[in-house]
Amino acid sequence: MRDIKSKSSVNSISDRNKKNTKSLAIWTSAWLLSLALVAFGPVLLWEYNKVISLCAIAINLLMGYRMIMANKQHLEDLDELQQRIHFVAMALSLGVSMVFGAVFGLLEAVRLVEFQPSPSSVLFVMGISYGVGMLLAHRKYS
Amino acid sequence: MKNRFKVLRAERDWTQADLAAALDVSRQTIIAIEKGKYDPSLSLAFKAAKLFDLQIESIFQADEDS
Repeated sequence: MRDIKSKSSVNSISDRNKKNTKSLAIWTSAWLLSLALVAFGPVLLWEYNKVISLCAIAINLLMGYRMIMANKQHLEDLDELQQRIHFVAMALSLGVSMVFGAVFGLLEAVRLVEFQPSPSSVLFVMGISYGVGMLLAHRKYS
Repeated sequence: MKNRFKVLRAERDWTQADLAAALDVSRQTIIAIEKGKYDPSLSLAFKAAKLFDLQIESIFQADEDS
């Protein structure tokens, strides 16, 4: 009988997932912190100094780039079923965010709400619909 | 598509985790394939055939209606 335990790769999918998840968590945290710096730094730390604000934005964009690359690496190292699950979740998230975003932007124009709709609200819809998509896809394949 | 993953694995006394590690996929993927909820890609099917030392068609069979 063949011993498949010896065939298992040293750098297993589980090890790669752990490493990539850690990297993604680090860069997402760094991006969030740098975003907080852009949002609150001018008010609380450097009194709207434009040069420092531009530096903070540059740092935020760099952190954002590293986060995107970490996410890309994370997705590439998943196995084919895991990639499909994320694909389903992304499809749902993109569709729901587009539909919600389009109608949400019109709410003030058609005088259904008094406030100016904030585009950042779409981020919440995107996150929630992505989570729901992941749950549904996991249930489908388990 | 039907497959004989579970039978072939049991015959060799391999756990789902052993098979997942050998094919470099997650255990969830092995479970989904064994339950017939997920049809693997051609490359994964060939990898499994090589591992089981069998022809691909003796592991996977098309459904009657497909």
